[in-house]
Amino acid sequence: MAIGPTTPAARPEPGPRHAPPFLGQVVSGAALLLLLGLHMIAQHFVVPTGLRDYASVIDWLGSPVVVFLEVAFLVVVTYHALIGVRAILFDFGFSGRTARLITNLLWVVGIVTVVYGVALFAAILNAG
Amino acid sequence: MAGTLDRERPLAAPEQRRGVGGWFDPRGRRMGGFAFILNRLTGIGLVLYLYLHLVVLSMLARGPDAWDQFVDIALSPPFLALDVLLLVGMLIHGLNGIRVGLIGLGLVASRQRAMFIALMTIAALVALVGALRIFGGE
Repeated sequence: MAIGPTTPAARPEPGPRHAPPFLGQVVSGAALLLLLGLHMIAQHFVVPTGLRDYASVIDWLGSPVVVFLEVAFLVVVTYHALIGVRAILFDFGFSGRTARLITNLLWVVGIVTVVYGVALFAAILNAG
Repeated sequence: MAGTLDRERPLAAPEQRRGVGGWFDPRGRRMGGFAFILNRLTGIGLVLYLYLHLVVLSMLARGPDAWDQFVDIALSPPFLALDVLLLVGMLIHGLNGIRVGLIGLGLVASRQRAMFIALMTIAALVALVGALRIFGGE
């Protein structure tokens, strides 16, 4: 039997579609260097004790620009984190349906995380 | 035939052997392999911290008493030690991530060993300065 591109042995692994989206990880990682840097400076480094007290947090979150940057940080860090979890899970050798299920589940986890975070911002601002 | 194909297939990189269990297989591992493991382990730690951080921040929604009490606890030495650990994890993952990104984009692949050593040296120095500042030194 001739080995051609249609034989099972010669078929490519379910690669590019299920492989970790490396470029997304690099781009979100680069964005995180900036957003995490800003978060750490604003929330920790410029605060004498390293942690803002309640009044200071409410005052800081009063700026729409700050809220936008913090939400952007939340979205990017969640994406980067879960794409990393996906890559680790794929080290177990999952492919096909299981791989798609994992990807879809992680999308749900990511969306829930971001919605929870944004709701938390709203609750904090309302409480303040 | 299958045996021939198997023999011709190149050996998997150490970090790709036996899934996650292969991460801890030191045989034939080079510095890039150890960097890969380091990135995965710090990544897992940072993901756990992200969710812990979101839970902790929920205290802000409970009002000033809950948050300010937490701040007092968070400024105690055991918590500050965890902050140092977090800083170390962020530095290793972030700086090693720059190296991984550059290599993955086809840049400086021939210098990855030197880059890893240089970036981890920077991470160690920044972590040391950070630890001194976190514990109140200048």
